[in-house]
Amino acid sequence: MPTCTGCSCLCPDIVIKDSKVFNACRKGSSIFRHCREKRAEPMISGKKVDFGRALEKASEIISSSEKLAIYGLDTIPLEAQGVAIKLAERKKAYIDDNSSFCLGDFVEMILKGILPTTTLDEVRSNAYVIFYWGTDPYNSLSRHLSLYTYYPRAGKRQRGYEEDRYLVVVDVRKSHTAKLAKKNAKFIKVDSDEDLIEGFISTMDGKAGKYYEETGRIIKKMQRGKFNVIFGGLGLKYGLNGNYEKFVEMVKRMNELTQVYFIPAGFHANMRGFNELMFEKTGFVNRYSFEFRKSAPKYEFSELVRSDSIDVALIIGSDPVNSLPFDVVQKLRKKRLVLIDPKFSLTSKIAEVVIPSAITGIDQGGTMVRSDGVKMKIDPLWEAEWNDESILKELLEEVR
Amino acid sequence: MPITPMEVYKLLPKTNCKKCGEQTCMSFAFKLINREKKLEDCTPLFEEKKYAGQLEDLKRLLQPLEEATETGLIVDEELCSGCGNCVVVCPVHASEDPKGMGSGFGPTIDDPILRIEDGVVKVVEMMKCRRYGKNRILCVACRENCPSDAIRFLEG
Repeated sequence: MPTCTGCSCLCPDIVIKDSKVFNACRKGSSIFRHCREKRAEPMISGKKVDFGRALEKASEIISSSEKLAIYGLDTIPLEAQGVAIKLAERKKAYIDDNSSFCLGDFVEMILKGILPTTTLDEVRSNAYVIFYWGTDPYNSLSRHLSLYTYYPRAGKRQRGYEEDRYLVVVDVRKSHTAKLAKKNAKFIKVDSDEDLIEGFISTMDGKAGKYYEETGRIIKKMQRGKFNVIFGGLGLKYGLNGNYEKFVEMVKRMNELTQVYFIPAGFHANMRGFNELMFEKTGFVNRYSFEFRKSAPKYEFSELVRSDSIDVALIIGSDPVNSLPFDVVQKLRKKRLVLIDPKFSLTSKIAEVVIPSAITGIDQGGTMVRSDGVKMKIDPLWEAEWNDESILKELLEEVR
Repeated sequence: MPITPMEVYKLLPKTNCKKCGEQTCMSFAFKLINREKKLEDCTPLFEEKKYAGQLEDLKRLLQPLEEATETGLIVDEELCSGCGNCVVVCPVHASEDPKGMGSGFGPTIDDPILRIEDGVVKVVEMMKCRRYGKNRILCVACRENCPSDAIRFLEG
């Protein structure tokens, strides 16, 4: 059965019949439906060339580079990411992906064992209180609630969402997901995440802090449920602004009363895979310099471009011109760019070399890591002649 | 927005002439929404010129009735994100397909009531819905769990 690689949910139950896509959400189905449209073509300086020539030129540029940065990587399989990391090591390059401004911090804390975690299959069978903290999965990870967390009836939770689940949505506004918090659920509108964390800690201390009504009830529900999970999103990350101590303490204290796990809500299809590979190899999850053998905020791709620390950027499966701030893009167009991407994008307009690759789950297979750390085997619908892994292997061989 | 009998009543002649076979215009309004009566049954509306404006408004107001399915379900595909909440919460789906839709996955039966097709919800087999037929239950599970209001019912 095809797997959707639209987001880190990696929905495994997609059916394609009579040129229609069943079960995938709007985002996922469009990947399948439009997979043949706007495909990239091999190009050098905006002119179409043959594939071999583009590959040659790319290895020439990378070989001549003194300060290379490799960026993107979140939509390609683990096997290709591994080759990209080897290439970065050989060239003593910087390597970074979207996790540096996405949920990389939480993945790092989980990999280091600071936050306890579980899998989405366990959540489906056991979870009672389900937190969505600073995230709106209805829009960003459409099937998260219906496939893995709140709605399924499975394992110990056979009576469905009305009796066997308790939904807590924490957000600064009434998002679409917050609208789902009706019966047996709670929506907490917060101004500051720290206030709510302190509220939970004071409730556990037996004192009435901020949000005491909500926190008191939720703690009681959590004790009843014995298996609870917090899904943290970007709202939580940027709300805490890097000071995670209080949050970690809150989770620890909750675990003295009952079982609470943490899973990052979701991100690009294989962002966690890259983080895990990097962690295994270097002990850091992202923004790493193979020259200085360390990770630092100044090695974040945007910062490297801003500070003119690089001369060549190898971008794989990403569209930074579309997603990064304008000042970064303005500087980025002055660098020599090599782009490996299956689709025509804004970045392909400014890249010196464009190498077309394959879309994971459509014309290339491999392994990807779901948001909870479970490795998923992705089968392709058909095999493309060139895929990310073979292109990167070829570059690895050619580059000096 | 749901259509209420009061909104319909306001636009009817309000003369209780009984030409439609109902005792009052209010009961005719109720039956119009339940689709037991047709607008054409109110003959004065069509015959007398002074009601021409009201007739236009009524036609516009009752337009969704034409689009709705037999159970009064209206799906707005433009608003749907394909989250599948409606498919998974449906009690009929849960009892007929516990390992598939009841557990959060796609349908394993051929004729579900609702199904996600090309990223949006589509009505497949309306007859199975608990709202269908004479002994219907006014179940709203699918609408309750659609935060973008892509699923609505005529009665609101």
